[in-house]
Amino acid sequence: MRIDRTHRASAFASLAMLVVSAIVYVIYALHAPQGPRGGSAIGLLFGVIGFNFMIFAALLGARKRVPTWRLGRAQAWMRGHLWLGLLALPMILFHGGFHFGGALTRALMWLLIVTVASGVFGAALQHYIPPRMTSAVPLETIYDEISHVRLLLCEEADRAVEAVCGNLGIAKPSGEENQRAGGFTALRPIAAAAVPLRTSAAVSAGASAAVATAAELILLSQEESAPLRSFYLNEMRPFLERPGKRSQRLADAATASSAFASLRTLLPAAAHAALTDLEGICSEARQLALQERLHRWLHGWLLVHIPLSLALIFLGTLHAVMALRF
Amino acid sequence: MTTSVTPPGMIEIGIDGKPVRVPNGTTVFDAARINGISIPTLCHLQNQTPVGVCRLCVVDTGARVLSASCVRPVEPGMKVVTNSEKVLNVRKTLLELLMSDHPSPCARQEKSGDCELEALAKAAGISQPRFAKRSVARGNDDSSLAIAVDHDACILCDRCIRGCDEVKNNFVLGRMGKGYSAGIAFDLNAPMGDSTCISCGECMVSCPTGALTNKGLAGTAIAGGPGAEIFEAEELLQIPVFKGVSGTFLELNRGAIVNRHFRKGEVICREGEFGSTAFYIVEGRAKVSISTPIAHVKTQGGAKGFFNRLTSTLVGREEDKREEEARDRTIPIDASVDLSYGNPVAELGPGDLFGEMTCMNFYPRSATVIAESDVVAYEMLRNVLDIMLKNKTFRAQLDETYRRRALENHLRGVPMFADLSPEFIGHLKEGVELQRFAPGQAIVQQGEPADSFYLVRIGFVKVSENYPGGEMVLAYLSRGDYFGEIGLLGGGVRTATCTALDHVELVRVSGDDFRDMVARFPSVRTGLEAVAAERRAANQQRLQMVHSVPIDQFLSQGLMEAQSLLILDLQNCTRCDACVNACADAHDGVTRLVRDGLRFDRYLVATSCRQCRDPLCMVGCPVGSIRRRNSLEVIIEDWCIGCGLCARNCPYGNINLHPFEVLADDPENAGRKKAVIKQKATSCDLCTHLKEPSCVYACPHDAAHRVDPKAFFGEMLSQGGAK
Repeated sequence: MRIDRTHRASAFASLAMLVVSAIVYVIYALHAPQGPRGGSAIGLLFGVIGFNFMIFAALLGARKRVPTWRLGRAQAWMRGHLWLGLLALPMILFHGGFHFGGALTRALMWLLIVTVASGVFGAALQHYIPPRMTSAVPLETIYDEISHVRLLLCEEADRAVEAVCGNLGIAKPSGEENQRAGGFTALRPIAAAAVPLRTSAAVSAGASAAVATAAELILLSQEESAPLRSFYLNEMRPFLERPGKRSQRLADAATASSAFASLRTLLPAAAHAALTDLEGICSEARQLALQERLHRWLHGWLLVHIPLSLALIFLGTLHAVMALRF
Repeated sequence: MTTSVTPPGMIEIGIDGKPVRVPNGTTVFDAARINGISIPTLCHLQNQTPVGVCRLCVVDTGARVLSASCVRPVEPGMKVVTNSEKVLNVRKTLLELLMSDHPSPCARQEKSGDCELEALAKAAGISQPRFAKRSVARGNDDSSLAIAVDHDACILCDRCIRGCDEVKNNFVLGRMGKGYSAGIAFDLNAPMGDSTCISCGECMVSCPTGALTNKGLAGTAIAGGPGAEIFEAEELLQIPVFKGVSGTFLELNRGAIVNRHFRKGEVICREGEFGSTAFYIVEGRAKVSISTPIAHVKTQGGAKGFFNRLTSTLVGREEDKREEEARDRTIPIDASVDLSYGNPVAELGPGDLFGEMTCMNFYPRSATVIAESDVVAYEMLRNVLDIMLKNKTFRAQLDETYRRRALENHLRGVPMFADLSPEFIGHLKEGVELQRFAPGQAIVQQGEPADSFYLVRIGFVKVSENYPGGEMVLAYLSRGDYFGEIGLLGGGVRTATCTALDHVELVRVSGDDFRDMVARFPSVRTGLEAVAAERRAANQQRLQMVHSVPIDQFLSQGLMEAQSLLILDLQNCTRCDACVNACADAHDGVTRLVRDGLRFDRYLVATSCRQCRDPLCMVGCPVGSIRRRNSLEVIIEDWCIGCGLCARNCPYGNINLHPFEVLADDPENAGRKKAVIKQKATSCDLCTHLKEPSCVYACPHDAAHRVDPKAFFGEMLSQGGAK
């Protein structure tokens, strides 16, 4: 979620709550004969408030499981999760009087700090990555479709190269030769003008596909096409198969551009259209690789945040039961 | 003593001493025909504009000279005599003159014995004309592979020319020359085989003589197979429903109509299949039904029992009341009956025609028809059905069946008409006119006086409004929809143009009956006025949009056409797919949106129904299950048969077909069931059963919005276009 102007009210409310709590805490700390303690009435109150904030924050996961239940908009839950989850940390610090206590409470406190920190880190990622992905990956597709789109790109490149170099024994016979790899969003310049198009999902489902025109069939002689064959088989195809390897020349836009420029000087003009197409395919493959990386960043932190949160709730409950009972 | 008052718009005349009342503007020929008085003619066909060139239809109207009845409009108090000695003598002379210029027997008379001129001459007792025959032959044209032209047999009635120009809009045929050298000509008098003629055969079918005949080289045929018998033209002409059909035509179309025998339990046609034929039942009874379950698509193993009930309680579903809809819902199918929503099964019997839309418009079959007893049916291709529908005998029989079996359901299917008394419905059943329109034909024109109200019986009608700079499509109407009420209830002038998109049949309620209806049934008036006001407001809104939004910015992505877009703000969207999951959750596990699509500025226009202003998806649905509600949304009813036409029609790929498993009769093991895969179309319904679209409600990042593109992007566009 982007932390923008729309969060102003929530931010002010949280700040006000923090200030009031801090004032209460300072007064309480100054007047408590034995110093601030979690077992005192005020300390307990801070503990209850902080723990409830944590529970509310944790309930966001449950809320997402029942998206159609009319329990309040998911957006309001998310705002609550962000701000109340953040406030839970000072509340628990006030609860413990800034002491970490015994083993369990120390573990709990560190767990809380790491959980909140991972949450803040995640919020920052969700603030900065979507705009970056939007601008850097214009041919973005659905994350789960990336491997499929990549396969289609590879097939498309095979066909483009074989159309110029002759049979290399790599292209699969396809009934949809005109189908452009990629999705709705992966439709390169034709996308803007082509209204009656289908989505990648529709294409995957077997619906009629959006198409770009197939490359014109121009066969070069063995000698003429040798540089392209060598480039494609040794460099481009491995890149399309495993585009994540950054050491590859084609993984970088600038070096890829110079590679294609030099190849153009080695090939006759008749093959230049195919080269342009291949360059476009590489660019798309790079974008998909970037999307994959950004997507992992965007959602990877949850692998830390969610288990820690659950552990926090579990240990927090244990601590509350033990503290109240014993 | 009672006095008879002629209703407004009607004219009373006398024909052969019989008083008749006909609408103002009717020709004497039609007035006589409507009242069962036959007048011979050669140059006039019911589906062509009368021109009065053969003069055979002359009648005595008391004027100085006899009048050609096909072009003479009736006048108040006119006394027409069609069979006086004077009239008969004139007709006989005309026939003699025509026969003197006609080789007898002509090719048609030789082949099928139905040359109209020679039949009339024979009836008038003319064996040898008194007048000298033409000395110079006009010649033959044998250049076409399909049609032989004998200019000597041509009587210059112009039926072929009007058939080519008016009926088929091919504009190949015309007249050339003057006096004795006058004749028909193809293009600029080119040989027929070298001309732009497409050999559609309309000229040949229209020709009353042997001037244009079938060469028997080209033809279309239905696949044979067991139980199919091919008819010869002579055999067909003996069958009552083919009475009046041109023998030449039947000869040309040998094989385009077959006699089929179906055993009890045999499937005649299956819903969802594509076909090109219609069936006319001659003997036996057949069951017509929709076998696809009437239910919305669900995934296997969804939440059931207690959890499901709990979900329903918490989810805050509002009852989807559909107040604008009829109490007795019916499913329109491509037959002379509608199916009841509760029990979608009906029976067809002798005289019933089904598959008309499939045959004429190539739409998928709308229902499954199974022989309940041994059935004999004529299966015919489009050209045969088309010519039969022009046949008055056959047409009258179909209309009668429709009036008897489906019209009441059809009228009551319109919510406002649900309160009409049975006696008034009876009156309407007798009084309405059934009209047919060819693709592209204008039914009513914007600005014309409004004189009738229409119900769509078959086909699709485009409603559009002209405004400076172009045409704006307001709606597509399909079976069960109606139009014409705004003009009748308002200023008496049509506010939009309605055009037949394909083969369209309409039920026309006259202005008088309409006014009578709204006067007698205030609830009908209130309902119609409300709908008319709603339509006017919606039309106004659309037109305002046309004027205020810079269209070119939107056109490239078709956003201009959208009424409600699901957009995702890509700056906010974390690609968590909560929207997709929510959609699936709200629709029994089947998502109706895909988080993919074209981008407009920083927004992703998700693949989800846009509720287009010009909803092309609605055109062609064989069972009318995809439709627009009065509120806004395009919905797919649960009786969808999964033919996929809407999915193919949607330009944005926003309708998907979802397969699901159902139990059906096992054809190999009688009495047993087996699992088969059926499909149904799904599309975003804006979560009308909930308070708000679930995708928007469930988005935690304030990224998903359902917006009116004009309002949402308007400011951005007015500030100089998208960034």
